[in-house]
Amino acid sequence: MHIPDGFLDPAVIILTYVLLVIYGVFAFKRIRRTLNTENTPLVSVLSASIFAAQMLNWPIPGGTSLHFVGGALAGVMLGPWLGFLTMFIVLIVQCLVFHDGGITALGANSLNMAIIDVLIGYAIYRLTVRVFKSKDPSRMLAAFLGGWLGITIAGLACGLEIGYSQTFPYGVSITVPIMTGWHAALGVIEGTITALTIAYLRKRAPHIIFAER
Amino acid sequence: MNLTGSSKKLSYKKTMALILILVFISPIFGVLLADMVGYHEPLDVAAEALNLPDLTELINWTPLLDYKIPGLPAEVGYIIAGLIGVFIILSIGLLLGKMVRRT
Repeated sequence: MHIPDGFLDPAVIILTYVLLVIYGVFAFKRIRRTLNTENTPLVSVLSASIFAAQMLNWPIPGGTSLHFVGGALAGVMLGPWLGFLTMFIVLIVQCLVFHDGGITALGANSLNMAIIDVLIGYAIYRLTVRVFKSKDPSRMLAAFLGGWLGITIAGLACGLEIGYSQTFPYGVSITVPIMTGWHAALGVIEGTITALTIAYLRKRAPHIIFAER
Repeated sequence: MNLTGSSKKLSYKKTMALILILVFISPIFGVLLADMVGYHEPLDVAAEALNLPDLTELINWTPLLDYKIPGLPAEVGYIIAGLIGVFIILSIGLLLGKMVRRT
């Protein structure tokens, strides 16, 4: 999911950076209002947990891999604004310290994993809980769907960004189905981990789950 | 220390222990199994197949590229890189906490 340098056209780079800045400014205003001494340790510890979890690349025979992304989990746990901050901290450290994800693709990677994945995960969780209303089982389903659809839509966005870049020889008719389909398949694991984590948190500390408020 | 400030606790120590366990077992997945199945990042595989220039190494600015520490075996380097990443992230969290307390 981390797009390296050299994949994106200048137009896509500029567009994704502009979207990141606009969303970042919008989010920053809300973060300033919501960040407090209670949720700041949660943001940093969740960032560190997601960073560590992303280091567990599960290699798949054939030469590729999957790893947990965590955007939907951050969105459900901390909401769209602090969830964005949590994921952006992970992405900026990965990019600047380890060159994991290109600097030219930081806008796109942030858009996919810190904005789209977080927002979709949060929105789907809220929507599913509202539709089913019942207690625990619907929350597990809500977290699973949030995690699964969050990563799938993020994969679709990644396919669009790569497909619309002339440097990449294949267009969106190929990149979008491949990236979306691949992430929809691997997203089952993302959804399962998100559901199990939220189920655990609902038992241990239900009041910290922002999407429940 | 309690992470959540309520009677139902989410222990800071236990969460940190989990993070450290994840970092210490990460080379099994990120290095050892990756070598066994010939793993590369999916988009790097695509770039290689399409003969796209590998700009990552061309415009690299960090000695910790790909979670490696120069001069150290890949497995050890992967763990130390993970610990560095966790330390930096928690430091950012501490800075944020200080800023919040000031305002």
